[in-house]
Amino acid sequence: MENLDDLIDFKTGRQKRLIYSDADIYEQEMEKIFGRSWLYLAHDCQLEKPGDFIRTFMGEDEVLVVRQKDNSVKAFLNTCTHRGNRLCKADHGNSKTFVCNYHGWSFSFNGELTGVPLEEAAYQNKLEKSKYGMVEVAQIDSYKGLIFATFDEQAPSLEKSLGEMKWYMDVWLDAMPEGSELVGTAMKVELPVNWKLAVENVSGDGYHLGWAHAGAMTVTAESGLAGLSVGNSEVDNESAVSVAGMNGNSVLAALDGKSGYAFYNEYQKVWDYLDENRATAVERLGKFRGEKLWGSQINMTVFPNLQFLPGLNWFRVYHPKGPGKFEMWTWAMVDKRMSDELKQIILDNVSRTFGPAGMFDNDDGDNLQAATEQSRGWRSRQMDLYTNMAIGNEHSREGMPGVVSDGLVCEQNQRYLYRRWLEMMKADSWADIPFYNSLEEAQATEGK
Amino acid sequence: MNLIPAKNDIYLDLQRGLFKEARLLSAELYNEWLSEIVSEDIYYRMDMPQRRFREDKSGQRAPAKTPIFNDDLASLKVKVGRYDTGFVWAENPMNASRHMVSNVEVFETDTKDQFKVYSVVELHRSRLNADRKRFTVGREDIWVKSEKGYQLLERLMTLDDSVVLDSNMNFFL
Repeated sequence: MENLDDLIDFKTGRQKRLIYSDADIYEQEMEKIFGRSWLYLAHDCQLEKPGDFIRTFMGEDEVLVVRQKDNSVKAFLNTCTHRGNRLCKADHGNSKTFVCNYHGWSFSFNGELTGVPLEEAAYQNKLEKSKYGMVEVAQIDSYKGLIFATFDEQAPSLEKSLGEMKWYMDVWLDAMPEGSELVGTAMKVELPVNWKLAVENVSGDGYHLGWAHAGAMTVTAESGLAGLSVGNSEVDNESAVSVAGMNGNSVLAALDGKSGYAFYNEYQKVWDYLDENRATAVERLGKFRGEKLWGSQINMTVFPNLQFLPGLNWFRVYHPKGPGKFEMWTWAMVDKRMSDELKQIILDNVSRTFGPAGMFDNDDGDNLQAATEQSRGWRSRQMDLYTNMAIGNEHSREGMPGVVSDGLVCEQNQRYLYRRWLEMMKADSWADIPFYNSLEEAQATEGK
Repeated sequence: MNLIPAKNDIYLDLQRGLFKEARLLSAELYNEWLSEIVSEDIYYRMDMPQRRFREDKSGQRAPAKTPIFNDDLASLKVKVGRYDTGFVWAENPMNASRHMVSNVEVFETDTKDQFKVYSVVELHRSRLNADRKRFTVGREDIWVKSEKGYQLLERLMTLDDSVVLDSNMNFFL
C-alpha cells in the first residue's frame, strides 16, 4: 500500500491515478469509507406499509430495507445466517417473511429467525433461534425523508455528518410543506468506471458541461441558461457558486432560480409551478434560498456516494463493484404537492436527459470509463491528475454555509471531495476524522 | 383484439419492412428511418425492467413505470438531431452495430390497414478495443399501411436486463 499522503495533495489539487485502479486501495475504501460512513438507503415514500422492502447495497454488502409494524425502518444484510445464501431476490415488494431458498429458514420482516425446517427431528430443538436472526446495520436514521444507515456503531450522528449541508438539502427537502418524493423505479446502469470519477464529475465539474455535452446542449431548449455555452466558448461565473468544505459534502449551484429545467423540452409547465409556489419557498427557506436556489440547477453531493440535482430532478446513488466498476441507480425526484401531470413530465424529462438512454448521461459514460482504464497501465497509473482550477478563490460568503468559490466552472468541490477521502482513508478511528462547515473550520483542520 | 394471422403477402411486406429498418438503424441512417419508416404519430416506448416476485400483486406508486424511451416524433427528432450535431464524441469513431431481427409474427387488428407485429431484436455493438455489448429486446409493434408503404405507428419494447450493461444507449431498436 502506497503512503496515503502521496496519493492526494489538497493544496495543489493533485491526485495519483492509481487511486482509480488499485485493488488494495479499493479494499481500504470499502473498510474505511463505505464501512464507516452514513450511506443512503431509501426514500421514506418508497416504504409505505409494514413489510414494504427495498433491496439495495451498502458498499458491496447487499441489504434489505424494511418498513416495520411500528412504522420504523430496519435494514438487514440480505443473507441467510445459516449457509450464506441471498435471502431476497426481488428489487422491491411487500413481504412479512423472507424465506431462504437453500434450506427453508424463514425470517420475520423484523429480522427474527422464526422457522427452521426439521427443527425437532434434525436439530433436536437445540438450535437457539434467537442467535441467528438477520444481521442489522449498526445505526439507521433519516433526514426529512432520506433514510441512511452505517455499519459503524462509533459513527457520529447523521445530523453531524451532514452538517451544514442540510441547509442546502432543504432547498429540495423542505421547500414545500408536504416535502419530497421519488417517482418511478430505479434506472440501473452498470459502468466499468471507478466510483470516485463519477462522483467527482457531478460534485463540481461544471467545466465539462459545455464540451462533453455539446451535442445534447445544442438540441435542448434554453441551453443558454446557467451561464454555460456550447463548446465552452464563454462562461458567466458570476451567476453560480461552488460550495464545499462541509465534511466532504458539496453543492454546485446556479443562482437564477429557474435554470434547473434548462434542458427540459416542456419547461414552461415547470416554470409555471415555480411561479405559483415561489412565495411558499421564500416563506419557508428565506429570500436567498427561495429566490436564488429553489428552481436553479443544483448538484448536491452527500459523501461518499449520493448525489441529487434539484431542478434537473435526478437522484442517484452509486454502488461500487470493485475498483473498475459500479452500478448507478437513478430516480426522478419531485415535490409531493406537484400534480400527477407535472410528476410525469419530470419523470419523462429525467429519463430523456439522464436515464440509461438519456442524452446527457450517454455523453459521460465513455469519458469516465476511459479515465478509469487510463489509470490502470503500469506507466499511466504512476501519473498525476489535476483539479487545480481556481485555487485560492475559496472564500466565506455572508449568509451561506461552507467554503464558497465563484462559478460552476471551478474545481474547488473536487479538491474538498478528495480531501475528505484522504481524511477517512487515513483515520483509524472517528476521533481522527475532522468535522468542518466553514472556511475557518476547514482551514483550522486542514492536514490535521 | 383477435389475433388473426395476416395473409402471406402482408407478412412478407412487413418482414421486408423490419429488415430494411434494421439495416437503416445499424447504419445509423436515422433521418431516413424517421422519414421512411416512422409514422408522424409514432409512440416509441421502452420501460426499465424490475425484478419482482411472481406473486407480488401489490400496487405501485404512480407513475408505476419508468421509461428508458418514451418518445413521439418531436422527441425522436431531438435525439436524432443530437447525433447530427457531430458533437457526440462517444460515437466517433463510429461503433459497429448489427440489429438482428427474428421471431416475426404478423396479425391483423380490428382496425383496417393496421397490423400487430411481434419480433425479437438482438443488438450487437462492437466498440473500442475488445468492448462488445449485446442487448436483447422483445418488440410489440403496430404498423400501418399508408400511401408511403408500411409505417411504424407504435413500438412497445421489453428490455431483458434489469441493469443496463453498456455505458450508453446511443442507438434505436
